[in-house]
Amino acid sequence: MSSSQEPVRILAPSSLRETLSRRALLQVGAGSVGLAALLAACGSDKKSSSGTTATTTANGGSTPTTTASSSAPATSGSTASSTAASTGASTAGTTGGVSGYSEVVNKSSGTLAMYTWGDYNDPSIVGDLAQTDLGVTMKVDYYTSNEDLITKLSTANGSSGYDVVVPTGPYIPQMIQKGLLEKFDKDKLPNLSNVDKLYLGQDWDPGNDYSVCKDWGSTGWMWDSSKVKADIKTWNDFIAAATGEASGNVSVLDTGANVLGMYCWANGIDWNTEKKEDLDAAEKFLVDTFASHIKAFDSYPSTKIAEGAYTLSMAWNGDARQAYSRIADAGGNPDDWKWALGAPNTELWMDNYCIAAGSPNPDAAHAWINWLLTPEISIKDLQYHGYNSGMKGMESLIATLAPDLTLGNMIFFSDDQVKTMRTQKITSAQDRIADIYNKIKAKAGG
Amino acid sequence: MTASVVPPKRGRLRAPKFLLAGPSIIWYVLFFVAPIAFIVYYSFGTKDSSKLVPVDMSSPGFHNYSEAFSSTFFTTFKATLRVAVTATLLTVVIGFPVAYFLAFKVQERWRAILLALVIVPSFTSFLIRTVAWRIPLAPNGTLSKWLQDWGVIGGPISLLETRTAVQIAIVYNYLGFMILPLYVALDRIEPVLREASKDLGAGRVSTFMRVTLPLAGPGIAAGVLLTFIPMCGDYVTATVLGGAKGNMIGALIDSEFKGAQNWPLGSAIAVLMILAVLVMLAIGAIVVVGGQWLLRRMRRVDLSDGAPA
Repeated sequence: MSSSQEPVRILAPSSLRETLSRRALLQVGAGSVGLAALLAACGSDKKSSSGTTATTTANGGSTPTTTASSSAPATSGSTASSTAASTGASTAGTTGGVSGYSEVVNKSSGTLAMYTWGDYNDPSIVGDLAQTDLGVTMKVDYYTSNEDLITKLSTANGSSGYDVVVPTGPYIPQMIQKGLLEKFDKDKLPNLSNVDKLYLGQDWDPGNDYSVCKDWGSTGWMWDSSKVKADIKTWNDFIAAATGEASGNVSVLDTGANVLGMYCWANGIDWNTEKKEDLDAAEKFLVDTFASHIKAFDSYPSTKIAEGAYTLSMAWNGDARQAYSRIADAGGNPDDWKWALGAPNTELWMDNYCIAAGSPNPDAAHAWINWLLTPEISIKDLQYHGYNSGMKGMESLIATLAPDLTLGNMIFFSDDQVKTMRTQKITSAQDRIADIYNKIKAKAGG
Repeated sequence: MTASVVPPKRGRLRAPKFLLAGPSIIWYVLFFVAPIAFIVYYSFGTKDSSKLVPVDMSSPGFHNYSEAFSSTFFTTFKATLRVAVTATLLTVVIGFPVAYFLAFKVQERWRAILLALVIVPSFTSFLIRTVAWRIPLAPNGTLSKWLQDWGVIGGPISLLETRTAVQIAIVYNYLGFMILPLYVALDRIEPVLREASKDLGAGRVSTFMRVTLPLAGPGIAAGVLLTFIPMCGDYVTATVLGGAKGNMIGALIDSEFKGAQNWPLGSAIAVLMILAVLVMLAIGAIVVVGGQWLLRRMRRVDLSDGAPA
């Protein structure tokens, strides 16, 4: 290639050069922007739909947990046989299983799309195990708040394409009222009988017609004791450290209710308060005093804790538990990090499996939720996400199925601890809280 | 005797020429005009979260706009404009020498490769490029530890979750979109013009200021449009790298819609942002056009009284 050749022109052949007006120039630029956007879209598409095409069930129930399914015909969604199968399960005597539980596993097929909280299931349970045990290909997307979920479902108006969603209890009534959830076909959920009665029939769905407990947890904080010397025992200590030693390196959960909760619990106020003077005082403190100390609004701080981004983080117990292994993986020292459950009061939340209205594959949704309610799968999942999954006889299940569970004290709470926990209520103050929260966010950036 | 000559009638009807633009007109009406119209419409409503679309239009008014102008939101507003203006200026300053080098200095056989090097990063997903930043910049990351071991920095890198991180990343993310139009503009300048300028006695600086730069004007304008407008609405960079401190208006609008379910307020902020961008561009255009006019006046050579001495 000699230099006397016609110069290479990537953007415009020389014959076109004369006609390239300013407008044409803009179009060239805009075209490349469009191309980049298109490519970006392709890239993210690849990322989210990592699964292959739908697979029909071809494999018989070969795994030890699926004792019942061998008696069920391997067609998609065998409703009729499920009752018979469930009785068969208890007598079948599971290999490595736990007795006294219904362990029906219905085969299904096709793709199952779940919209859930970040990093909330064992990767194999939403991946290859769902494929081998159920014949279902999973596709999982994530949201960071219940409001996020509700907005997505209500704007799609039944065409969101999601089958399974995981809202927190208090948000379920409004979702039912707006017609965002599909009623359960309980014939397809025989394993409901495995859930501890304590976690069934909650206020938001007394008959469990739309929802079943996925797991429940609470809120506390983690801090790097090599950088923050104070012993943080209460929400007041948390606020003191956040506005003092840890200022500028604090993350708080990315939900308005939790940030308000922090203030209320520190000041002995009911966090479901609707009183104007309480909310005014909360706004004044959170926006004018507290906001400027916040480094990030982060519902899953564990990864960034391992990166070293924060020295004090408000966190849910399961995510905090995951932080310990992540810190070790990143070469940090987990012993520097301390965890405390919120005190004197803190949150109790319960997330629930629900089926989205207009679910493209309700059959697979039922099959998958039912599968998650088998003890083996539930405990396997629990070991990953670190939240109490509400199976009955939890202690003996853990002893049998997960004897080497680590940091169990971050998963299971004593009765005394549970007594300090408060469930969120959706009140008339909801709009005000959202408003305060956005002001906090805006102020934190100022 | 008059013979009226009637031109033969055309055999077929000619479709109006604008039909060629038909597909794009339909596309824009459906997917641009209609959604934006809804945003503008909703911005006068009131939040009503009991509805599927949580907007009550029974008593329209400007209350969302007055709230959007409240000090807290306005702070984010100003910060966003500051980041976008700074970043646009930086992309011009950083991008111009590169484009100049590509257009005039580099040997032609290398040009394609170098241009490709500028373009290829833009082919990587915007999101991935931004997320990838977190790895080297992590305070506990390898790079941070090396730099500390070598004594380059006193403590861990503390760039993530700051507005500085957003500022740097946004310049990086949009630099290619500035370099390309600049290069096209510079490449179109005939070398003879620059040679003529030198022949007539202009030095390097003078040639650059009075010949090259004005001719590159359209390229700069295109580059500014292609970078400034998307920067103002940039959501990814601020969300991924900015934390609480690097909050930008895109993230704020997002949280109004999704978090607070306050569509009317989110819409009002969005409308204000669109207006603010238009105003900024108008100010920019006035400054440039006015500046050129002034320069021409100042440099005008008056020939009426004979040639200057």
